[in-house]
Parts: sequence; structure tokens; C-alpha cells
Amino acid sequence: MNLKKLLYIDRRIIYLVVAIGALIPIIRPIGLPVEPTDPVIGLFDKLESLSPGDAVIISYDYGPSSEPELNPMSSAILRHCFQREIKVLIMAVFPLGGVNMAIREVERIASEFEDLEYGVDYVNLGYKDGGQAAMKALAVSIRDVFPADVDGNDTSTMPILMEVRNYDDVEVVISLATGIIGEWWADLVNAQFGVPVAVGCTAVSAPKYYAFLRSGQMIAVLGGLKGASEYEELLKRNFDWAREVYSDPAEMKLAATTGMDVQAIVHVIIIVFIIFGNIMYFATGKEKGR
Amino acid sequence: MQPLGLSIGVWVNALLTLCILSFLYKDNPFFRFAESLFAGMSLGYYIGIVTVQTLQPNLIQPLGETFFGNHNYLLLIPMALGIMLYFRYIPRISWLSRIALAVYIGYYVGVLMMQKIHGQVIPQTRDTIMPVTTGGIDALWNLVVIIGVFSVLVYFYFSVEHKGVVGKVSRVGIWFLMISFGASFGYTIMARISLLMGRFSFLVNNWIRPMFGI
Repeated sequence: MNLKKLLYIDRRIIYLVVAIGALIPIIRPIGLPVEPTDPVIGLFDKLESLSPGDAVIISYDYGPSSEPELNPMSSAILRHCFQREIKVLIMAVFPLGGVNMAIREVERIASEFEDLEYGVDYVNLGYKDGGQAAMKALAVSIRDVFPADVDGNDTSTMPILMEVRNYDDVEVVISLATGIIGEWWADLVNAQFGVPVAVGCTAVSAPKYYAFLRSGQMIAVLGGLKGASEYEELLKRNFDWAREVYSDPAEMKLAATTGMDVQAIVHVIIIVFIIFGNIMYFATGKEKGR
Repeated sequence: MQPLGLSIGVWVNALLTLCILSFLYKDNPFFRFAESLFAGMSLGYYIGIVTVQTLQPNLIQPLGETFFGNHNYLLLIPMALGIMLYFRYIPRISWLSRIALAVYIGYYVGVLMMQKIHGQVIPQTRDTIMPVTTGGIDALWNLVVIIGVFSVLVYFYFSVEHKGVVGKVSRVGIWFLMISFGASFGYTIMARISLLMGRFSFLVNNWIRPMFGI
């Protein structure tokens, strides 16, 4: 076979092979094992250490383009919080979709818990423009920054916001972040107000967040789909209700663990192509006498 | 059977996804249509969400209450500054926009200076001051971090020619940089595969399967 032809293989053939590799586990999930790691266990342990009635902020700082990675993370964390009767304040500082992601996710997960009461156990405060300015202002008064919730309801009469007034009443901030926003929570809110921060981020952003984790500015980092699948695994290992939820076929389609099957297969394909490309490169280089 | 509204939404979603994916074959009008639609809708969405979620509850409503006894007059100042930003489109009074811009830049420079020094420079520098004589694997990793930080800093120090000892140390810095780029690239591939999986999962589970009842 002519090696040069293989070296200049049409990129669309590579796309096709990757597409087939991605489709197979979606149609028929394999269920490859997932092992939780310390950066993810940090958030699980933190939420386990909280008492019923303690409050957390979950900030939906991502848009539709990060949905496949961060929605499973959000589902797992929300379920854990609601199951432990932790009060959840939901907000967004990312303009393009954060609030929509939050509305859909919170409605879906909250509907699984019959006893939850909106405005008492959780509240969706919606999006706030201003980035760091809004984050800083939350240290003074959450109600002043969010006088209305996502539906325009007055927050001043909501019991949850009478108890949780500012960062002093928040046990941990969890930012589900795309881009740089997770960094702001660490280098502004954690650094200046001492609130523990955990970040669930897209895999692209994960490497830089490990520096914050190592320096103690973050208590946990959930990196991309892998981080989400590890959190799901932690829930399944520790709780019967989680094993039940994640064995439901409808839920399995949305779960990060299913997505990790795709990751594993496509990674193998890419590794094979990289090795193959390098072998071909050196083989043809020798032919040219280089 | 899905509700009609939902199925129309799914169909629009699926067809636009296919339009975008068609770029993988080659550039075409369907891709460009979907791309332009997305760009336009994103801008419209942003304007809408800022108006409804920030301007309405934090400015318009409290100012409206001013007429009913709640004296929120201070809000007139940020409102005026916000409007002044748009004066740059009126040449005669465009200089006024610079006042608003100065306040805006002044605030964020102040916030960012504190944020970066207090939240990044000091804690990250502190984190590189670590024991290396305690023995064990932790001391070894600490040494790796220290050598990595030092050699990369030397690589980015351009006031001295990279020859001799400096050249050798900066060479080590290049190795550390290459390893970090490799890690970032691996994570980037993982992220992109997740996006692909998200779209494929939608097409298979929300579009094709309900269409054929499987």
C-alpha cells in the first residue's frame, strides 16, 4: 500500500470514524467503570459535612455550549443538596443561557422532591449583570442585589432570604462555570470574604483550576464530564436513592457516566490516529532520506 | 406522542444542529444561515435578559417606587452614567461618554487590582514556597513545582540572552510548558467530545428515537 496516501487521508474520513465511535455508546451504553478522585470527593465531603438548613449558592455560569458537560454535574449536586435538606440559592452571572439552564435544571430536579417548598428550601434568583460587581455586592446583601427572583417575585418576603442575608450565612459557593467565571469566585469571593468555593467547570478550563485547588482557594474542582461522572459515582456508592435514580433508563441518557463511554471510545480512536500519523510521518520521512 | 410545540422545537433544534455539523463536510449556505441566526439570537437574548433580570428589578422598578414615597434618588446617578455611555454616538456631546467610561474603568480597575493581587499573586506565590527537605513523595512533587515555576519564569525573562546557564534553565522551562500544553490539549479534546456527544445524544434520543417510536 502507498504510505503517502494514508498520510494524506481525507479529514472527513476521520470525522466519520469519530462520529461512529461516538454514536455506538449513545445507542447502546457500555457502562465503563468510573473511579472518584480527590478533587471531586472534596465537594461531596463538604456537602456531607453540612447540616439540614445550611445554605449553599449554586451559580449557573454557563450557556448552552457547555450544557453536555455541566448539566449532569448540576443534576447530581442539586440532588445531593435537596436530599440532605440543604437550602439552595440559585443564581447566574453568565448572560448567555445561564438563567435558562438553571430554570430547566432546577424545575426538573426539584420535581423529584415532593416536600420541597420554593422560597423556603430553594430559590432561583436568576441572572445578574455586572460580574465581579454583583459578586462583591452579595457580601453586603443578597436581597439588594436580587430584589426579585427569576420570575419577578419579590424576594424580601421569602423566608430563605430572611435567613440567608449575605456570604456570612453561606457555607459554600458552587460555580458551574464556563470560561473565567469560576476563577472570579475563587480570587474575589474566597480571597476577600473567606467563603469556601467549589468549581464545576468545562474540561477546557480544568487545568488552570487545579492551581487554585492546590493553593486551597477552592475546596473542589469537578473537571468536565469526568468530574460529573465521578460525582454521580460517589452518590451511587453512598446512597440507595441515587442508585435507583441513575438506573432509570431516561436518566441514564442524561447521565455523565453514559457520556464517559463516548469519551473512552473516541479517545482511543484519537490516540490510534495520533500514533498512526506519527508512524506514517517518520516512515515517509525515511523514504525522502530525511 | 410529543406535544406539537415540543416536537416543533425539537425539529428546529435538530435541523439547526445538522446545518452546523454540515460544515465538517465543507462550508455551505446552511451552515452560514445557522451561524448568523445564532449570533443574532445571542445578542437579542443578551439585551432581553439584561433588561428583564437587571435593569427592571434593580433600576426601573425602584425608580418607579420613588413616586410612591421610596426615595431611591441615588439610582439616578448610575442611570445617568449608563445613558451617557451612548452619547458617543452624538458627536456634539460625545465627550460626555468619557466621564461615564472613566467611572466604569476606575471601578473595575480598582476591583481587579485587589482581586488579582489578593486572590492570585499572593496565594499562588505563597503556594510555591514549600518544604523540599521533609522526604517522601510530597517533597519530590514540591521540588517539581518549584523547579517548574522557576524555569518557566526564566524562560519568560527576555532582558538576558538565553545562553549558558540561563539558556539551559529556560530549556527546562520549555519542557514544563510543553507538558502543560499537552495536558490542556487533552482536556480540550475531552471538552469537544462532550459537546459532540451532547448533540449526538440529542439527535438520537430526542429526535430520531421518538420519530420512529423506538
